[in-house]
Amino acid sequence: MTENRSLRHIGLILCLLWLLLAAFPLYWVLITAFKPPLAVSQGPTYIPFVDYQPTLQAFRDAFAGLRGDFTGPIVSSILISITSTALSVFLGTMAAYALVRFNYRIRLVSGLAFATISIGGFVLLDIFTDLRVPYALGLVLVTALPVAIWLNGRALPGPVMGNDDVTFWFVSQRIFPPIVSAFAIYLLFAEMGKIGLPLLDTFGGMVIVYTAFGLPFAVWLMRDFLSTVPLEVEEAAMVDNIGRVRIFLQIVLPMATPGLIATSMIVLAFVWNEFLFALLLTTGDWQTLPILLAGQNSSRGDEWWAISVAALISIAPMVVVSTILGRMMRSGLLSGSIK
Amino acid sequence: MKKLLLTAALLPLGGMAAAQCAPDFTGVTLNVSTNTGPAIASALSAAAEVWEKKTCGEVNVIEFPFGELYPKFLTAMSQGTGDFDVLGFVPAWLPDFAPFLSTMPATLQDGSNWEDIHPTYRERLMVWDGEVKSATMDGDMHMLNLRADLLDNPEEQAAFEAKYGYPLAAPVTWAQYRDQAEFFTRPDQRMYGTAEAYRRGGQQFWYFFSHAASYTNNPNHPGSMFFDPETMDAQINNAGWLRALEEYKAFLAFNPPGALNNGSGDVRPLYAGGTVAMNVDWADSGILRATEGSEGAKGTVRTAMLPGSEEIWNHKTGQWDKFPEVVHSPFLAFGGWQLGVPGDSKNQEAAWDFVSTVVSPEVSGKAIVTANSGVNPYRFSHYDNLENWGSVFTPEEAASYLGAQRASLDAPNVALDLRLPGFFSYTEVLEIELSKALAGEVEPQAALDTIAAEWNKLTDEFGRDKQLAAYRASVGLPPLQ
Amino acid sequence: MTSAAHQQDRVKHLFIWPAVLIVLVVSLFPLIYALTVSFQTVRIVPPTPPRFVGLANYAEIAGSARFWGAIWTTALITFLSVALQYALGFMLALALHHNVPGTALYRVTFLLPMFLAPVGVALIARMIFHPYLGPVNDAMAGLGFAYVPFLTEKWPAIMVLALIDIWQWTPFVTLLMLAGLQGLPQEVFEAARVDNISAWRRFWGITFPMLLPLSVAVIFIRLIEGFKIIDTVFVLTGGGPGTATETLTLFAYNEGFKKFNLGLTSALSFLFLIVVIVFGTVYLAAAQRVTRRFA
Repeated sequence: MTENRSLRHIGLILCLLWLLLAAFPLYWVLITAFKPPLAVSQGPTYIPFVDYQPTLQAFRDAFAGLRGDFTGPIVSSILISITSTALSVFLGTMAAYALVRFNYRIRLVSGLAFATISIGGFVLLDIFTDLRVPYALGLVLVTALPVAIWLNGRALPGPVMGNDDVTFWFVSQRIFPPIVSAFAIYLLFAEMGKIGLPLLDTFGGMVIVYTAFGLPFAVWLMRDFLSTVPLEVEEAAMVDNIGRVRIFLQIVLPMATPGLIATSMIVLAFVWNEFLFALLLTTGDWQTLPILLAGQNSSRGDEWWAISVAALISIAPMVVVSTILGRMMRSGLLSGSIK
Repeated sequence: MKKLLLTAALLPLGGMAAAQCAPDFTGVTLNVSTNTGPAIASALSAAAEVWEKKTCGEVNVIEFPFGELYPKFLTAMSQGTGDFDVLGFVPAWLPDFAPFLSTMPATLQDGSNWEDIHPTYRERLMVWDGEVKSATMDGDMHMLNLRADLLDNPEEQAAFEAKYGYPLAAPVTWAQYRDQAEFFTRPDQRMYGTAEAYRRGGQQFWYFFSHAASYTNNPNHPGSMFFDPETMDAQINNAGWLRALEEYKAFLAFNPPGALNNGSGDVRPLYAGGTVAMNVDWADSGILRATEGSEGAKGTVRTAMLPGSEEIWNHKTGQWDKFPEVVHSPFLAFGGWQLGVPGDSKNQEAAWDFVSTVVSPEVSGKAIVTANSGVNPYRFSHYDNLENWGSVFTPEEAASYLGAQRASLDAPNVALDLRLPGFFSYTEVLEIELSKALAGEVEPQAALDTIAAEWNKLTDEFGRDKQLAAYRASVGLPPLQ
Repeated sequence: MTSAAHQQDRVKHLFIWPAVLIVLVVSLFPLIYALTVSFQTVRIVPPTPPRFVGLANYAEIAGSARFWGAIWTTALITFLSVALQYALGFMLALALHHNVPGTALYRVTFLLPMFLAPVGVALIARMIFHPYLGPVNDAMAGLGFAYVPFLTEKWPAIMVLALIDIWQWTPFVTLLMLAGLQGLPQEVFEAARVDNISAWRRFWGITFPMLLPLSVAVIFIRLIEGFKIIDTVFVLTGGGPGTATETLTLFAYNEGFKKFNLGLTSALSFLFLIVVIVFGTVYLAAAQRVTRRFA
């Protein structure tokens, strides 16, 4: 019993220390947003009303649009983030479930065939024909995919990759440094725009890209959460001849709720804060908050009060989200076995 | 019902207004883009209001972070997406952007408005490859910002003269600059001599160039500051540059602590807040101190031309040329924001009309005295109107501020900024080696030699003849026969 | 095949193909583009027509000390911060799970750093670590330390970068480990408590092994994401002094978006990919062995 208490004490001290460390920068941002320029340029000041007289000027400037339009990006960020997160978590959880319950076998040969046909085919089309990029891409995809699937069905030699490799493939999409990918996607979207399907600076374009971003997280994380869901409940339901889809929606998902919530928050955080693709793929209509935030780092000088206001505005919706979802994670309430 | 009546009442008015659209750009929406405000973007928005009323068109001002402007614009233009109709960009990028920009219509290159633009901008900065590709909307140069509360203070004057043997005044040579910086470095009083930018990625190389111009921009050999104008061999490791680097590094001692990490944005609040006695900067420092400085800072802004030198390096003879008087080589760092119209824009006519509105004497005259607009004088008419500055500066401040800028532009040995295709490749290696030298990791001469070697390699990679032609054009020299 | 098996097959595909298709469509073209461009010199400025150069780009990168320096710097910062993030995050999750007083408050504030945009975190860090106007150096001076060159010398700068990374991403670990803890079946713990097994042994014997797969996943994701660190470096040190704090993504960013040397950047990206996959595979193999040992 005493051991429990001393452990709880250590836990408490740790939490308090971390609270201090985590909260201090946020506190600093909060007070700096209210500082007049002199309270910054003459040295650090810590307590409003004591060290300096707080002012709302920075907020007024921000909402007057002096440092870039705020309202547009806020709406854009909210709409794009929520949609992409919902889509990627849902589709990703489905894929994760499949990876946990079913067995996939993909022959290396068919994978290589897909790669060769798609890449090689595209290069050949590019060099020898005048076919525009989107058409060429579509053509090779439509050719390579069925061929690879057909090959997979044949009994061919060579190693066979399983579920773990499929998962690894998902996650490996996150490894590639975003620089060239961003440029390439811009190119692709620009070309699509030229053949009549505008994807640049559109809601649809951003959602597709961000869903593809969130999927690796969703698959990788949900696979572990779903694997802790006990099999017996599902088997019982299957005996009763309930369809897989219903089992998934009505039994498995509710049981994995803590994991779902955690994953959703993670994906939301990533999409909300993504910068590079948003920069390249949006122009005036769908510019998101991170671009605005980066824009406060102007060549004119670090105007810390402006940066703080922008940071506060960017994080405000996230505070709401984390409060709501955090409450849903109350310990013990949603844990494991629902008999 | 009320709304209906109101609309009906306003219709004839609308009709009248429509008749006043001249030229008529109804239905045209221009996408105008530059870096996040308030600097420049607010000036564009203000001009947009004027233009919209005049022509019934619409303007959409889109802002991006300064650091991402170059890749965003270049990506869009290289893919020909027509995303932007007008760009507000940095003149150093003009060589890279020029192939994608359209030429200014001849009609705009004529008349009193055209002649009103200072020739340094009109004939050099806005031109690339013989064509006018952009319009200056802002005039930028590095200057010395000083404080009247220190310079005019009798006790300071007496103490300074006693210590250094000459009166306290705006420094005319870097030696005098050094003396003043040393004199005002008083850590116990939380005051330091000067503030300059030193950080990699903080635009520090422009500060380095400002030092170097005084020692390398030889009036007898124009254009020999960065490269040999006949062979395109890098000049950045010659004795003039070495002296500049050694001084630039030595002055760290008179900067507040942590100066190695200061970018251009950090030197401004240090001057405005009174932590340093002077600084080298663009015009923003002066305005910042006047508008956001402490009570004691009111009326204390003084601006001067950059210090010069009586000795300038001669790259042909390999010796220092001595001059009877101090030669000032004010460095037009950054050059001043330019407006350009991408070739893939679908609204060429409207775009250039908007540009002409922004740079018109009336609109720009108002912009230069609007706080936060980021626009600095570049027309003759800007310098002549002192009263407009009353909202920002006292008369002495305004006279000093404008006087220094005008003198810099008029100076016979004014030094232009580096403008070459592949600008970032050249400046990246410069920044890396420079930061190593400043941190003491390599000796100054060794760092400069490395930069020179890299620059020569880059020149060869890009095509020596092409780069030479571009360089000669950028410094105003005729092509080699 | 029986009809049940057919149905099985259909469901199997229905569940996984949407995800696979979306990822495939979005990632295929960049892959093709990067691959083809990496074998050419493609420069947008100055505009030069593309030339096929085979493996020259790869050779140039692999031979440059700057590349290997960037790998070393990135790996150092990443491994250091991920290790500390994991330890710290796990401990915090345990504390939250056992309902230390104030849990409700912690739950919200602990998560916030993770929700800030990396560029925002970088700007805030710049404020706080500012040598003259920031609170950290003020506190240092107050405690009697001389001014510490946080951002202008290599090792202090790396420490600061790792510290910021830890600050921002420990919540990630905490969140996931907490969800994992909440998903553990309670009976095992009841039994252990009845048998009077000490908390220490309970942790190492039950909790840790059961959460090992999740831990492996969480660390793996943090490693992969951590390798792409760029915003803080860009804003705080610019990669300096020299290239002492230049990370791989910053290197790629300068090559690709400032110099628009796309051929070189693509080659760099693929080499980066290989490096991280190597690290990742080694890590996963080691993790497999650890899991088996604890199972």
